[in-house]
Amino acid sequence: MSEDKRPVSRRQFLNYTLTGVGGFMAAGLMVSPLRMAIDPVLQKEAADGDLTNVQLAEGDITNEPQRIDWEIDQVDGWYESKVSKTAWVYKDDNGDIVALSPICKHLGCVVSWEGSEDYPDQFYCPCHDGRYYKDGMNVPGTPPTAGLDIYEHKIKNGMLFLGKAQPREEA
Amino acid sequence: MYTMKWIQQDLQQYVQAKAYVDTIIVPLIPFHFSDDASLEKDAFQREVLSVFMRELEKEFSGRILLSPDYHYLKSADKAEEVKRVRSWVEDSWAQPFHHIFFMTVDSSWKKFEQDMNGTLIWLPQIVTESMQFSERQSVVHSQVQQVGEFIRSYWEDDK
Ligand code: FES
Repeated sequence: MSEDKRPVSRRQFLNYTLTGVGGFMAAGLMVSPLRMAIDPVLQKEAADGDLTNVQLAEGDITNEPQRIDWEIDQVDGWYESKVSKTAWVYKDDNGDIVALSPICKHLGCVVSWEGSEDYPDQFYCPCHDGRYYKDGMNVPGTPPTAGLDIYEHKIKNGMLFLGKAQPREEA
Repeated sequence: MYTMKWIQQDLQQYVQAKAYVDTIIVPLIPFHFSDDASLEKDAFQREVLSVFMRELEKEFSGRILLSPDYHYLKSADKAEEVKRVRSWVEDSWAQPFHHIFFMTVDSSWKKFEQDMNGTLIWLPQIVTESMQFSERQSVVHSQVQQVGEFIRSYWEDDK
């Protein structure tokens, strides 16, 4: 996907925000809803939050986890870069969408669904044989001590949007 | 944090995880100033290699440490360079690394592989400037998968 096809890039968004900062300071927070109302770009960004369209239609999500890759612009202090993201996406038995981070909770390698022939129906980490069940919970006795992070997600216009990956609540 | 590079934060993580990180990769990067005609091409290949390395270390950051790049003059005598490279990795073997890989696009190392005290991975220059951006990405991606498989086969032997 080329960058110009996107509705608004992070850089544009920042520019909008930065130009607005002086105004915010002078007029206080009351200005903010007003700006949202008059600036369609900001409005859109606010509505989508930080969720990104990952170009997967809801109808294409099956019970079998599939790997989805996408890119986001990330600003690290002064340094802006493209960061590629990955998720394993499927529908669970209730038909609910699950989007798991592939980052192993042990030391951060990338796990794959059925990544080892010896363990079908599990996520497998090639680095130290870490394993996770389909729901992302770690298999006891393997190195990881927590389940895979879960992406916030939503469906809009039939497309899957993913946000940040969040650690699970400790049970 | 899911990349492991020669920067402070990652090195802290590395020191904690030392027992689990048993593999080091040394990129071998040629450079030169003399041959204008190939300057651009070489710079491009260097870029490709760094994209490749970034993706590889992302996949395997929990077990692979990426060493600082080893730079050498393209025209330099390889037999001499091999000695220097060896002295680099001797230090690594002294640390408990069980696997040392060299990664390069320069096929002239191939002849010296026996003397290198590590495993040479030569990446053929199949990504070219004329490729579309997305095509480059997918070629690099499949190269990463293949090299990943190769490295994993060494890990399998440990078991
Ligand atoms: S990084 Fe996944 S098991 Fe160690």
